[in-house]
Amino acid sequence: MRVISISAIWCSSCLLMKKNYQKVKKEFQNLEWIDYDLDFDIEASHYQVGEKLPVLIFEKDQVEQSRLVGEKKVEEIIKWLEENIAS
Amino acid sequence: MIYLDYSATTPVNDQVLESYIKASQNFIGNPNSLHRLGIEANQLINDATEQVANLLHIRPSEIIYTSGSSESNNTAIKGIALKYQNRGKHIITTELEHSSVIAPLQYLMDLGFEVDFVKLDSNGKIDLEHLKSLLREDTILVTIASVSSELGILQPIEEIGKLLKEYPKCFFHVDLTQSIGKVNLSLENIDLASFSAHKFYGMKGIGVLIKKEGISVEPLIHGGKSTTVWRSGTPALPLIVSLAKALRLILQDSKEKEHKVKELNEYLRNELEKITGIHINSSEEAIPHVLNFSVPGIKPETLQHALEEKNIFISTQTACSKGGSPSTAVFSVTHNEEYAKSSLRVSISHLSTKEELTIFLDVLKKAIERLQLKHE
Repeated sequence: MRVISISAIWCSSCLLMKKNYQKVKKEFQNLEWIDYDLDFDIEASHYQVGEKLPVLIFEKDQVEQSRLVGEKKVEEIIKWLEENIAS
Repeated sequence: MIYLDYSATTPVNDQVLESYIKASQNFIGNPNSLHRLGIEANQLINDATEQVANLLHIRPSEIIYTSGSSESNNTAIKGIALKYQNRGKHIITTELEHSSVIAPLQYLMDLGFEVDFVKLDSNGKIDLEHLKSLLREDTILVTIASVSSELGILQPIEEIGKLLKEYPKCFFHVDLTQSIGKVNLSLENIDLASFSAHKFYGMKGIGVLIKKEGISVEPLIHGGKSTTVWRSGTPALPLIVSLAKALRLILQDSKEKEHKVKELNEYLRNELEKITGIHINSSEEAIPHVLNFSVPGIKPETLQHALEEKNIFISTQTACSKGGSPSTAVFSVTHNEEYAKSSLRVSISHLSTKEELTIFLDVLKKAIERLQLKHE
């Protein structure tokens, strides 16, 4: 299980979410979390990111289970993670 | 050609270009050289700097020449943060900032800095009470654009400056890129400010960071003598001279220029409101040079290209964001995803004419009707 986080350095929503992600990461310390920059990391291009950033992708055995797009509250991200972990 | 993208960049003024050419041809010495040609070149830079300082009512020593606003913003934000991190690591900004403000802040967050966004009201203006509540003992920087490039929102910079005087440990940086030559603003309570010459009919590749006396920044570029120790590199004499000229020219007859743009904006706004399917995003309080609107259901790129076919040039969003992505600025003000996804920006100047706007409106109306029919 791992979370792929895709953002861009120029994106204000990504900056806004960075703080929320930091809080979430503290609560899920055993979860692998990989950060990719849309422009700098070639790996990000594998995930077909749409128009909106940032994007969180939940993977199990390197297969995408679901994604969370755009600005989200800490509670929403936690709920999304818990649902994905439980499923 | 009808150019309605003056907020992205402006055509260089002939007199400015002439100054650039003359300075390039007649002052070939490196301003750092100690021989006569160097001394003459250095004197010309000093004269130009004094002129810029007089026009902006600041001291010549407070002017740092850069390659443009992006570098100025980076130098101000990273420079203050790194220099004063022993005081605190908290920075405040808004969601309306340019990517050259957002990106250094993301960089600083990775270094352990904390960034908070101040709330905006329904017109996109800063909520001063919220700003007050965000200010802390460890806040070292507030960075805010005086005018947002996408919507033309004018922020209460002087009020913010007065408020921040109560927080002597906190510096105030203002991105003046979209306001120089358009808005009359006192720099009295501002610690640092950025701007670029190409936004006011100057050359591309030259900008300024104003840094008030007594303030220090960690430079981005180390080594090599320049006009100041804060930004190294051989001084770009012809660009500096041309910047001084462009600034002098844009500030001449500024009231007349503003009046003309106001009239054009009024005409444009009234006519846009008559076109079915258009929602205007820029509030009445926005500067008249910028008018942002949305056409929900039609991709802004499609409309942009339809206009381009008729040699009319407007912008979808700022040139420094991802093409096709919804506008964060429009969303933060309208809270409407459809408007954010379909926003277009017309930016006009004192060089624009009513005839140009009439043609634009006619072509736009026909393009919207055609595209709406296609989607039905």
